[in-house]
Amino acid sequence: MTDSVVNASPGLSPRPAKSGRKKKPVLTPLEREGKKLGLYMTLPAQLLLLFIVAFPLCMQVYVSLTWWTPLDGTKWYDAYESLNWFGNYGDIFDDSKFWGSLARTFLIVVVVVPAEFMLGLGLAMLFADKFPGKRVFYSIMLMPMMIVPAVAGYMFFMLFQSSGPINDILSAITGTRIDMVWLADRDLAMVSVMIADIWQWTPLMFLILLAGMVGVPEDQMKAATLLGANAWHRFWRIVLPRMKTVMIIALVIRTVECFKIFDILYVMTGGGPGVATKSISVYILDLTFKDLEWSYVAAIGLFILFFLSLIALVGIYYMQAAQKKAEA
Amino acid sequence: MPKPIHSYIWRYALILVAVGLALLPVAWMATMAFKPHTEWATSAADLHWWPHEETWANFEFIFTGQTDAVNITHERTAGKPILASLVTALLGTLIAVVAGTFGAYAVSRFKVGANLPIGVLQLRLFPPMAVMIPVMIMWVFIGAMDTWWGLSLIYGIVTLPFAFWLMKTFFDEVPREIEEAALVEGCSWFRVFWKVTLPMVKAAIASTALFVFILNWSDYVIALLLTRKDWVTIPVYMNSLSNVMSGQMYGAKAALGLIAALPPVVFGIAIQKYLVRGLTFGALKQ
Repeated sequence: MTDSVVNASPGLSPRPAKSGRKKKPVLTPLEREGKKLGLYMTLPAQLLLLFIVAFPLCMQVYVSLTWWTPLDGTKWYDAYESLNWFGNYGDIFDDSKFWGSLARTFLIVVVVVPAEFMLGLGLAMLFADKFPGKRVFYSIMLMPMMIVPAVAGYMFFMLFQSSGPINDILSAITGTRIDMVWLADRDLAMVSVMIADIWQWTPLMFLILLAGMVGVPEDQMKAATLLGANAWHRFWRIVLPRMKTVMIIALVIRTVECFKIFDILYVMTGGGPGVATKSISVYILDLTFKDLEWSYVAAIGLFILFFLSLIALVGIYYMQAAQKKAEA
Repeated sequence: MPKPIHSYIWRYALILVAVGLALLPVAWMATMAFKPHTEWATSAADLHWWPHEETWANFEFIFTGQTDAVNITHERTAGKPILASLVTALLGTLIAVVAGTFGAYAVSRFKVGANLPIGVLQLRLFPPMAVMIPVMIMWVFIGAMDTWWGLSLIYGIVTLPFAFWLMKTFFDEVPREIEEAALVEGCSWFRVFWKVTLPMVKAAIASTALFVFILNWSDYVIALLLTRKDWVTIPVYMNSLSNVMSGQMYGAKAALGLIAALPPVVFGIAIQKYLVRGLTFGALKQ
């Protein structure tokens, strides 16, 4: 909005005027002061990043190349004594438990994220126009995602007890007594976890998609209506194309977050029964605390990090595109 | 164009169903928190929603470790975990908002620190579980394990992306003419930031702080990994309740869950306007 104004007064513009590629831009004293202050101001954030990203990442690479565990008595910086280069990475490929939990995590993601997306989209369509009571209903609809995830997990733990209210409600609906053991059955436990996650995170989809839907200009919709387009056409031809970026952002955010699924799942089932709901996060937690194979965990972490970064790059690309569009 | 009445009926019917589903689990926990332990219902036959005899015994139990109704005592009360959650979430919020505000202003105005926007974003995209090993080694090394400052520090760092991006969108919106006028008057950049810009974004900082507080308060994984006994937060403590006892402490845990759930819901509704912006790192605005 105000960018043009800033550029009109070059002396104050934070961006040095571009005149020739190679030539170093001449900064006014004020600009130089600004740059210097800027560097000081980014210092806290830079230090935190260095402290928690750069340094630990190097450490993780280092440890992942050894057999080091906290049990063997050597300090972590002496881990080179048990250097094994890529042994841990080789182990990943033979680790059927790892691939199993990865597959379960993917299963959760491919079921839960589209379900949340469709439900969120449907809800957003219901809330697109004004109607009496909208604000109150809107606030209630957002509530699930504000509940502490671990607490939400406990809520569903109580609901899904075999003598709990879910069976009660199902019995009331079907008329016969239903006694499903939700959390102790291999398949039903997975379903329960998915339902809990959908309950908690559909509101996020709803919130983002509704924000994207509101951006569609009303006069376009009116014109289309006058030209005889029905609701389905209006949605398919006008709303949907305009929402593409928003939808991708929503999907990427949820996919990345869902891949980390832990809190709800761990509180509800602890990964059980057996390994039926063991997601990758639960598997890593077990390796960390039960087996104490920290160097192997470091290798797995880097392995996952690599693939997640690829997905994340797509997300960052679209987010920056959206930001540019918003600024223009 | 007037809409036919039946479209309204359909819409309200669907919305009511959705609202009902959203409320159902919360309602069960909220009523459970006030049920005496005889009504915690282990058999399907006497399952009921509203407590027959409302009681505060569950809250009494989690805070004092004992109550007349239940003949178990518990030496670890909920007081310390609630304090731990509060202290670490607040300090973490302080770190994130201060570092985020300064950093965001610098990036927004002076275009320095080009690595920051993406750097902090990456921080968010990584699953904490995958990168916690070196952090745990480090935390043991510097003696930050199971301390209030160790947990606060990591909270400040993991929520920095949200604080940074939210504040950046707010700073981008501040009209620069006002700052420029002050600069022409001869103010230094820092004075302009401190005396002119910061007062203008006061409300934005408050919203950012609430948003970040919700995230810190909601954490479970990090506290699980980096605390042992002294500074466990509410979710970790809550989950340990059932391990200690024989069987499930439904009512007591529900009461604790209710206490844990309240602040984020209240704050979240207060900053509704900025939720989209915060959750999409400023890519979308409402």
